[in-house]
Amino acid sequence: MASKAKKPDFKHANLDPGLAQKIITFGGAAAVVGIGGAAGLSAGHWDAFFHAYMIAYAYFLAIGLGGLFFVILNHLVRAGWSVVIRRLAEGAASTLPVMGVLLLPIVISVLMGNHDLFEWNDPHLVETDHLIHKKHAYLNANFFAIRFVIYFGFWTLAARYFLSNSLKQDETGDHKITTKMERFAAPGMFAFALTLTFAAFDYIMSLQPHWFSTIFGVYYFAAANVSFLAVTIIICRWLQSKDARMLPGLTVEHYHDIGKLLFGFNFFWSYIAFSQFMLIWYANIPEETEWYLERQEGGMAMVSIALLLGHFAIPFLGLISRRAKRNLKLLTFWSVWLLAAHFIDMFYLISPAQGGHGGEHAAGAVHFGPANILAFVGVAGAFAAAMAFALRGKKLMPIKDPRIVESLGFHNV
Amino acid sequence: MSEEEFRDGGVLAEFKDVTALVKACEKVRDAGYKSWDAYSPFPVHGIDPAMGIKMTKIPAVILTAGLTGATTAILLQWWTNAVDYKFPISGKPFWSIPANIPVGFELTVLFSAITAFIVTLAVNKLPSFYNPLFNHDSFKRVTDDAFFISISSADKKYDFDKCKDFLEELGAIDVEQIKDDSHVNAELPRNLKIAGVVAVCLTFIPLGLIARARTAYSSEPRIHIIPDMDAQPKFKTQTANSMFPDGRSMRLYPEGTVAVGEPGTDDHFERGVDEDGAWVDTLPQQVSLNEATVKRGEERFGIYCAPCHGLAGYGDGLVHRRAEKIGSPSWVAPSSLHQDYIRTQPVGQLYHTIKHGIRNMPAYGHAIPPEDRWAIVTYIKALQLSQGAELKDVPASARVKLK
Ligand code: HEC
Repeated sequence: MASKAKKPDFKHANLDPGLAQKIITFGGAAAVVGIGGAAGLSAGHWDAFFHAYMIAYAYFLAIGLGGLFFVILNHLVRAGWSVVIRRLAEGAASTLPVMGVLLLPIVISVLMGNHDLFEWNDPHLVETDHLIHKKHAYLNANFFAIRFVIYFGFWTLAARYFLSNSLKQDETGDHKITTKMERFAAPGMFAFALTLTFAAFDYIMSLQPHWFSTIFGVYYFAAANVSFLAVTIIICRWLQSKDARMLPGLTVEHYHDIGKLLFGFNFFWSYIAFSQFMLIWYANIPEETEWYLERQEGGMAMVSIALLLGHFAIPFLGLISRRAKRNLKLLTFWSVWLLAAHFIDMFYLISPAQGGHGGEHAAGAVHFGPANILAFVGVAGAFAAAMAFALRGKKLMPIKDPRIVESLGFHNV
Repeated sequence: MSEEEFRDGGVLAEFKDVTALVKACEKVRDAGYKSWDAYSPFPVHGIDPAMGIKMTKIPAVILTAGLTGATTAILLQWWTNAVDYKFPISGKPFWSIPANIPVGFELTVLFSAITAFIVTLAVNKLPSFYNPLFNHDSFKRVTDDAFFISISSADKKYDFDKCKDFLEELGAIDVEQIKDDSHVNAELPRNLKIAGVVAVCLTFIPLGLIARARTAYSSEPRIHIIPDMDAQPKFKTQTANSMFPDGRSMRLYPEGTVAVGEPGTDDHFERGVDEDGAWVDTLPQQVSLNEATVKRGEERFGIYCAPCHGLAGYGDGLVHRRAEKIGSPSWVAPSSLHQDYIRTQPVGQLYHTIKHGIRNMPAYGHAIPPEDRWAIVTYIKALQLSQGAELKDVPASARVKLK
């Protein structure tokens, strides 16, 4: 009975500045040590470092984008139930400016002509490679940099817009702010869809510039949602275990709904992944099958199978029942599981591009090393620090949102 | 209908609002009644636990139906594609999982949805044409602004007076005895029955017509509901035509004519042979040997020949490598074009191989027009030269680039 829920006490619903400071310090240190260490480890093998870095980078960029999508979506449809976790989504989205900074060195290196990561930036290949030559109008350093500015410009603006307005409402309680954000959500959704799609093309698909798949943006979008929802579940559980008063009124009913979305988006991911695969498999055109062939040989075949089972079959069965979504231990377990699967996914997308530049390379080789772990720790640290920085001292729920009461009283039938 | 015809159907109690309803439900549940129900104009959150309704078992049934659908789809495709009617499609295996998944997905959804629909109806005992509550005028407001609880007389613990007192105690604002006339009125209305019988009878008409058509013979053509372009005023191949003395609809070329696009009389250009039928060793006059021709040949070779023969012509193209890898038993390796007996072949013979294929190699004449065949030939010659080249073959100006 939604109407009857009482507002709980929000006095302690802040992200304690001390805790935030700790996260920022540790996260920042992890970022420096991780990214620096990965770079140091692979000094001389920039190819290896760049790819390890991109895997970690795409992993966390997805989470930030998933957060932004969640915010825009819930404003767009005027969702009630989700208000209690919207602040966390706003926090995740607020990592996007930092993600922009983390990509900057790569954009600069591309502008300076480096082509360890993006072989389409190799002037020799542009001349000799027919396909790369034809794609040069889009895949060139300057346009790449311009697009980078557009994507991150929009994401930064949108993330700031939603967080700052929502924080303002915490103080004033002005309902007009909600209306304003809802109005921005519709065009924002368009811009989000376009920027995410093309960013996925630029930062992941163009790593192997011969290959193309128009559904690729949707694939990354699905991965973004899965990873964001899984992270949200884990963050909520962690915060509540620290001090339940930080997220007052967040009950199993909300977890159940996040779990449903998690299950749904994970199946959506599988659906999209299969849609992409099946058309290419059926048409059997060399330019397209090449990409899958590389991933079906040698050690990469094992990675592909791990992805199929770990990202689809097993969690699908694991999360299908109502019980799995309402038993918080189980739900947390599957969230962690899916975050691991998300790593396999990014690894599967990106790592085969390594070593494939011009020269012969063993198709199907698995390029996994300590640099991968360090880069992951590094970007994770930066992500956590950025999120804690955005929310430090702030309420963890939009306490004066006009729908907060409805959200708190939310009940699954 | 007089009052005596009604039997005691139970009690119907009205409650003030939804809160009172939910509270009362909890009490009725705790009192141990089994055959009772609550009514409200809108869905009420939390009514299920208040009424003691357990989580339904329908999801498990639907899951089973979904799995059945998936299995059916896979078995169907396996049987039709790999067993009953094998039909090779673009070299794919007869039965392969990726192709099966869309249908598997559809049938999973279809079976699940239909099962959910039917089981939900069945569990709710629907469709139902009679409910004694509709005999009560007060009950009509249940779709508007009234809240009710009814306890059926079928309940083991039922006793009208006790129930009435009990419900009043719970705050019912009005309690009535349910007027049950199911013994006279639960029957379907007569008109409905007649309509049903008529409808069933009508469905036999098309069945009957089909049955008749299957056993009867007719000289009329079958009924064409959507004719598309099935009947056209033209003659098909190998049919009779009384217009011509020989009765054939397919005509032979008039003596001495050549159809457009078919090989003509230019043996050198179109067949690669001279007047005596020997392989020519020079290019026909239509083709001039220059860089553009060789480049064109390189491009066409890359498209048509390299998949098997490899870009450098060693017979190691992708198709070959793949066939080796999967150990295809029927695969014949494409020849290396750098074997002596091919290096020495006259250009006319190479041309012929492209046009007609050779032994296990399919013909490419249908796909490559004569000019391009010759262009490919010039490229093969250049390729052969390049692979057997010695230092003295390289122009002095280019030697500095070599190491
Ligand atoms: C589908 C694979 C395939 C393609 C495509 C193909 N070939 Fe072949 N080719 C073969 C095979 C297999 C043989 C050997 C046949 C045998 O020995 O039975 C062969 C043999 C040859 C030979 C040797 C003929 C001889 O006298 O022994 C030549 C020359 C040749 N191909 C040229 C070409 C050219 C030019 C093209 C492009 C127009 C081409 N092939 C495309 C499979 C192919």
